[in-house]
Amino acid sequence: MNFNPVRALATATLMALLGAGCHTVNTTETAQPVFQRNLVSEKRVITDASLARKVQILGVNVSDGPGGFLKVQAEVQNTTGRYQRFAYKWEWFDKDGNLIEGPAAVSIIRQVEGKESLFINGVAPNPAARDFRLKLYENAR
Amino acid sequence: MNRPLVSTVLVVATAALLGGCASSQATYVDPASTRTLSNVGEINVQDWNMASESMINSLIAKHINSGSVKGSGPDGRAVLAISRIVNNTSIQIDTDMLVKKIRVALLGTGKVVVDITAGLGGPEDPLAAEAKREQQLLGTQKVSGRPDYTLSGKIIENRTRQGNQRESTYVFQMALATRDGLAVWEDEKTITKQGKRAPVSW
Repeated sequence: MNFNPVRALATATLMALLGAGCHTVNTTETAQPVFQRNLVSEKRVITDASLARKVQILGVNVSDGPGGFLKVQAEVQNTTGRYQRFAYKWEWFDKDGNLIEGPAAVSIIRQVEGKESLFINGVAPNPAARDFRLKLYENAR
Repeated sequence: MNRPLVSTVLVVATAALLGGCASSQATYVDPASTRTLSNVGEINVQDWNMASESMINSLIAKHINSGSVKGSGPDGRAVLAISRIVNNTSIQIDTDMLVKKIRVALLGTGKVVVDITAGLGGPEDPLAAEAKREQQLLGTQKVSGRPDYTLSGKIIENRTRQGNQRESTYVFQMALATRDGLAVWEDEKTITKQGKRAPVSW
């Protein structure tokens, strides 16, 4: 096959353009983790399919400390090969379903590299909080 | 000259001018959202929100939720006083943008009360301080003299530039100390922002 310098240059440029912006993450962890996560069954309401395709919640686990404050941890994964930015917000509810408001109920911006997974943590504002809701937002600045 | 054409041009020009005037109308934005404005050279509402949220969660998760918080306040609540929050940045800031949110959240936990009669620059509430002093002198009511905990902190800034790309990093450091001067909780939140320098306009 004849070497075509123009074709080779075009291919190299295309590969470089495709590769630019793709920083994926490789992860290593123990095969049998020593911890046992208390995963909760959740109901997902997806209103933004675009965000759901990019950033997915893998699981949510809940624990209770001696002080009685609910602690929630959600594992989020970027399913794309590109860096993504998103925001999240926790909402807390008491046993009667009333929203508990507080200064910590704000949107937090996070960024996640391609194929990377990360944990987002939330702590209830007081021991009366018995339930929660996690909101994810796209296009966070 | 064509009269209808001139009239149409005048109407369009007037509408365009009026439209320009209407653009100065303000829009309300939820300060807890990510729709607020942010820039590289300042600590914006979003930054204060993120720093305070991080500190509140850390304080509750690492210290208050351990169940070890007990104090001399009403119902055994811990009494907290605010110590010095050092501003080591090049900008003028009101540290209450951070501290007040933490105070409100801690009060909301039901485990902590804040002493507003103790403070480095004098009491926050002079009338409450006077009433407390009177009660202590008369001995009519048991009044706690010293706070169980003090909250202190520092805000540090770091700026860097590469070409027309600018970066600002703000580090929020906080510590909670007991009466013995031992830090029982410490945390740090770093917020980094990047942006391009605006082109020079003539």
